[in-house]
Parts: sequence; C-alpha cells; structure tokens
Amino acid sequence: MLLLYFIVPFKCKNLVLLAASLFFYFYGEPIYTVLMLATILSSYLHGILIDKFRGTVWSKVFLWTSVITSIGALGFFKYSDFFIKNVNSLFKTDFALLGLALPIGISFYTFQTLSYTIDVYRGDAKVQKSPIRLATYVALFPQLIAGPIVRYTTVEEELSHRTHSFENFGYGVTRFIIGLSKKVLIADTLGALARTVHGMEEATVAAYWIYAVAVSLQLYFDFSGYSDMAIGLGRIFGFHFLENFNYPFISKSIAEFWRRWHMSLGTWFRDYVYIPLGGNRVSKWRWLFNTLVVWFLTGFWHGADWTFIIWGLFFAMFLMLEKFALNKFFAKLPRVFSHIYVIIAILISFVIFSADGLSGALADLGAMFGAGGIPLWSDETAYYFGSYAVVILAAILGATPLVKNAVLKMKETRVGSVVCDILEPVFAVVMLMVVTAYFVDGSFSPFLYFRF
Amino acid sequence: MQKKVKSIVVTGVFVTFLTFFAVMCAVRYFNPTAVSESERRPLAQFPENITWEGIVDKTVIDDFEEYSVDQFPFREFFRSLKANFQLKVLCLNENNGLAVKDGYIAKIEQDFTQELVDYSIGRLQYVYETLLKDNGGDKFVAVIPDKNYFLAKDYGYPSPDYDKLVEDIKVALGGMEYIDIFGELELTDYYRTDTHWSQDRIGAVVDKLAEAMGAADRINGEYTENTLYPFKGVYYGQSALLPKPDTIVYLTNEILDSCTVFDYETGQTGKIYDFEKFEGNDGYDFFLSGTKALLRIDNPNATTDKELIIFRDSFGSSITPLLAEGYKSVYLVDIRYVVPDILDRFIDFENKDVLFLYSALILNSKSFK
Repeated sequence: MLLLYFIVPFKCKNLVLLAASLFFYFYGEPIYTVLMLATILSSYLHGILIDKFRGTVWSKVFLWTSVITSIGALGFFKYSDFFIKNVNSLFKTDFALLGLALPIGISFYTFQTLSYTIDVYRGDAKVQKSPIRLATYVALFPQLIAGPIVRYTTVEEELSHRTHSFENFGYGVTRFIIGLSKKVLIADTLGALARTVHGMEEATVAAYWIYAVAVSLQLYFDFSGYSDMAIGLGRIFGFHFLENFNYPFISKSIAEFWRRWHMSLGTWFRDYVYIPLGGNRVSKWRWLFNTLVVWFLTGFWHGADWTFIIWGLFFAMFLMLEKFALNKFFAKLPRVFSHIYVIIAILISFVIFSADGLSGALADLGAMFGAGGIPLWSDETAYYFGSYAVVILAAILGATPLVKNAVLKMKETRVGSVVCDILEPVFAVVMLMVVTAYFVDGSFSPFLYFRF
Repeated sequence: MQKKVKSIVVTGVFVTFLTFFAVMCAVRYFNPTAVSESERRPLAQFPENITWEGIVDKTVIDDFEEYSVDQFPFREFFRSLKANFQLKVLCLNENNGLAVKDGYIAKIEQDFTQELVDYSIGRLQYVYETLLKDNGGDKFVAVIPDKNYFLAKDYGYPSPDYDKLVEDIKVALGGMEYIDIFGELELTDYYRTDTHWSQDRIGAVVDKLAEAMGAADRINGEYTENTLYPFKGVYYGQSALLPKPDTIVYLTNEILDSCTVFDYETGQTGKIYDFEKFEGNDGYDFFLSGTKALLRIDNPNATTDKELIIFRDSFGSSITPLLAEGYKSVYLVDIRYVVPDILDRFIDFENKDVLFLYSALILNSKSFK
C-alpha cells in the first residue's frame, strides 16, 4: 500500500489512502464499515445542502438534521444499553438490552464529521464537493479509531495539496516508532502491573497507590502513544495533525492539565459546546452550569457508564474550586504544592476512570486510604514494586519534558547535533526491533481508547 | 542538509525493514513451520476455509493474526530479544510468568486455582475411597513443592499458599499418613531449565519416604553417578533466554541394573532408563520412558515380598527407581491416563502399601480433567 501510494499520481493518492483506510477498518470491524460509510455519506450530503441553502432557514435545518443523525447513531450504538439499564432500574421495567457491540472509533469519527458540518455552516470551512476527499478525511486510518480528533479545517488544504518529502517521511517514521514503543513497552507493561497489584489476594494501601500510578501512566502512554503514531503516520502521507498531548503531568492546575491532555477533545468541546453555551463571559451561575454540561458530556463521551460521568464531573468540581479558591490559595505556596495537588487529583480521577462500576471505584478509592483496615505494605507489594521500579521510573521521566529538553539542549552544539542525528535513527531501529519482538511474543494489548 | 541525510537514512532503513520482512513472510507462507521445538507446541497455520461468515465474525482475522505471530520470520530471535529486554533492560523479575534466579528458571504463580486443586484432590480421594480404604496395607501421601516455593521462601517472590494445599490434602485423605518432604528439598535440587527434580539430589527425600514407609533398612543408597548432556528442560525454550542446558545425572547400581519395567499398555518389558527417549522432545522421558499409564518395576534381587503401589505424576519417574530396591515390585499408576475403576483388573490392592506422590504443579493444573 505504501509503495502504491507513493508511485501513483497525486490525484489518485487520496483514493489509495481511502481504500487502505477502509480495508484497515474492515479488518477490525467488518460489519460496521457500512455504518462508517453511511456516516460519511450523511456528512457529505449535509455539507452540500448546508452550503446550497446558505442564508436560508434550510441551512440551519440541515445543520440540525446532520447533528441529530450523527449524535443519533452515536447514541444508539454507544448508549442504548446504558439508557435501557437506567430506565429499568429507575422505573422497575424489564426492557431487554440491545447488546450492540460498540463500533470501533465511532466517538472519534462522529466528532470529526460533526466538526465538518458545523464548520461549513459557520463558514469556517468550505464545503467539500469531492466525496473521495471527505471520505478520506473521515476514514483516514492513522487517526480513525483512537484520535486525535482531527478537525476538518486542520487538513482541509492538505486534502487537496500536500507535499511529500524525505523529511516528512523520516519524521513520521521516527514519531510512529516512538508512539508504538510508548504503547508496547511502557503502557502495556504498566497495564500488567496494574492488573497484578489490583488482583493481589492480600490488598495493601501501597499496592493501591501503585495501582493508581500504574493506571494513570498506562492511560497516558497508551493514548499519547497512539496519538504519536497517528501524527507520525499522517506526516508520512503529508498531513500535519495537531498535537494531542503536551506533558499533562507537569501541570499546576486541573485547568492546565486539560489544556495538555487530549487537547483535540478539549478544544472540540470548547468550540462546539462551551462557547456556544456562552463560555465564561456569562454570569457566575451560568458559568457553573456551562462547566457542568461540558464536563458531564466529556465524561459521557468516554463511556456509557456512570463512572465516566462521575469522572467528568470530578474535574468540573476541581475547575470550579480552582476558579473560586484554589488558584488564589496555591499562588501563595511554593509551586511544588500545586503539582502535588494536581497529581493526587489526577491519580484519583484515573482510578475512578478505570474502575469496574461505581462500587468498584469506591472500593478502590477506599483501599487507597486504608479503608477496611488493610495493611500498608506487604512482601508481595515490595516484590512487585521492586520488579516494576525501573519501568515506573522510566514512565515518570518520560511523562516530563526532561528528556526532550536534554536532547534539544544537546542539539544546540554542533557536536551534540551530529551525535543526535546519528543516534536518532539507531534508536528508532532498535526500538522497532524490540516492539516487533513484543508483537511476536504475543505481548500486545489493544489500545485502551479503542473502546471509546 | 544534515537533517535531510538523517531523514533519508531513517526512510531507507524503515523501507528496507518492511520490505525484508514482507519478503520473508511470503517465503514462510510457502514453507511454514509445523512445530516450535523450543516451546513444545504446534504452531498456527494459515487459516483454511476462508468464508464470508468467518470474515464477518472475525474468526478468520483472529486465526490469521495467530498465524502471523506464530510464523513470523526469525521468531526465536525475536522471542529471545523480548525476554532479554524484559529482564535485563526493564529489569522486570518475570517474562511470561517465568522468573530466573541464580540461573534457575521457575514459573511464578500468585495463587493456586482452588477449583483445579479441589478437582485434583477429589480424584485422589476417589481412588482412596474406591480402591484403597479397606485394602489392609499402609497408605501414605506426599506433596512435592515446585521451584516457586523456594523462590518465595528464599528470595521473597510471591507464591501460592502451599500450607493450605497440604492442609487440604491432609483433610481429604485423612486415612493416609502425610509425609512432609518440603524440608528435604531446596532450589538446587531441581534442574535449572526444567520443572523436575534431579535424581542425584533427592537422596534425602528417598530416605524420608523410605523411613516413613518402613523400607529404609532395605535400601542401600549406594549408586554410581552417570551423566547425559545436553538436557533442555521445558523452561529452556519457554524462557527464550538460551540458558546453558542441564546435565541429567542418573544413578545406577547392580540392583537397579537388574530391575525390569513392564508396561501394561504395550505389554513390553524394558529397563528403568530409556536412552532413546533422551534424544526425543523431552529428555526427562529418559526416566521410565516418560508418560505411562501403568507400569510395574520388578526387582529380582529383592530381599522382601513387599509390594508398593505409587500413584504419581512425572516426578515419580525419577524417584521410584531409588525406592524399588526396597520392594519386590513397585506399581506406578498415573490416573491422568488410566481410569481408576479398571485398575483392580491389573493390580491386586490387598495388603499392599500405597504412596500418593504428586507435585504441587500438577495438583494445580488441568491434568486430572
């Protein structure tokens, strides 16, 4: 496919990419490929109609039918059973669950198609008359199933005109390998640690904190690793996707954390929900309402379970507290305290995020704080902590910009620059071999964000 | 310029890597490997019967992924690379559940699976209730610890609750005398690359069992040590670390040399040590020719008429010859391969001593199912 892509003339490249993307999706999700194609067709037709009737009430009507169609499909496939369960629980009814499998990546491509039709309606993007180009944008395999949520306006130009070069290819390959390594070597290893300590027969307080650290770093390396791979693959094909992570664990507030974590989702909600609701240029009560709505939806987007909603609202609570009290409070203290506050809040949030239902979340959080009189430490805890210490330290180091800054500093000198340029390809090849070894030994787990 | 050169190098290396492995995969498609000798398992083959239904329900894709992993070019090299990276770079204690300590490779388990243990003990209990309860002989039971026990005891590795396992055995087989052999063993008594114990290192266990069963004064215990090399145990390949193979040290004396082994399945009589089997997939099959449902060792130089029946797993293959000197005949029964209900057609249980000798590894496995 790679060879074919680079040998065909430019006008055929999108077609090759689209065919490859559809095959990629079909490989993992044969039946729901039809659903994705229907979503693309709907967006394409709605874009045309919104543009054709621009300036009339019909333009708005078609925008709404576009939104309802997209959200309807997402709601039906992702949230039906959640609603049925809650209705049954609330009204003591006995409606049967639909038991639908969640189409891979539906949350991502739905948000992408929504951004397209809304931007066309707003006049921020030109309508795409070529169905192949629009389908290529939505189905583009690097970011199709786990983001980042690439806005149409980001790649609008590059769908028609983009350059291919050794620089793009080399950068893309290196970025792809780094992402794959983050996923396979760090995230999956931390995932194994999290499962092991969470399943220990004799629970300890320390084991649950190790669990919290492990799942938090696992989520970061898993998701940011996928984003790196997507950005890298995109670059190979000449696309410049925006960054999705910017070292979120160094944040000094929850607000800053969300400016650094899953940035494409944060900006999507900001531009298509928060600002249309009035943003922060409203009364205090309205701002509180807007914040609650956005974070309820952010949580709910991540999964059809109350734990995700609580997770979203947990962040809303801290954003409100920061705005009204915590920012002023931490401003008077050394910065280390605000870092500690953010890290603890994040660890707790990801324990909720990873929990098996609300009762599981409460049990996990309780264990972190010694509920039930569990011991602080045990030989088994020591064993696993010792076994995974290097990985945990490497992950903590990798979650900060220290390594990146050190490399940039080194590149400032001529010798350092040459050394880096030699070592980078060597490092990439070694990592490629090692991750291949992990695949061959069957030690690969699916990406966590595939389920969203 | 420097950046462009770097990009060209990265591009060239990546494209070469992809092309090379694509070609090698194509070669493997026409010449697949049937069995992984190091892992002692068949390798997945290219999916047959590719149907639309299979594609839609993803069974074809799952089969293809299994095939592509199993048949990946230079698979053994990559398995070794991963194991070394895991243990030496990431400094993890385990790779695929296997730990290495002082060169000894052991499977690490956090817990026994109680359902499996209950089932295994239930089978032993069934044998006791139906065949042995009233046979008049003395009845003994012993559990053999695996290497995980010693890694936990000596080095702080996690381990299942061996005390509970022993307690469960004692409760279920209350009519039998429990012989504790845990104290007679240590990690170095086992092969480095295998699950089993080494015959030359289990003299203390033989003494303890013989003492408890009243056979100690009939066993001389003087042997000549002989060696076979290389012995690549089950963990040799599974660990993918290419460790130094073990040496099998086997013991001989005039009495053992004169003993014969009768195989009830084949009706053939052979010797205690099977040199042909040493060359096979599992060198440990050298002892009593490996997995056998029902054997009888006859000792023509016995100074007694006493007979012993051992219900056993593979650990019994290497220790039984050392007990044989104290009996006229020793029956070896592996109820994983023979239904207990038909055993009385071959063995007269009346007034015979009985020993249940099972490793914790086997009790915590699906072997009895």
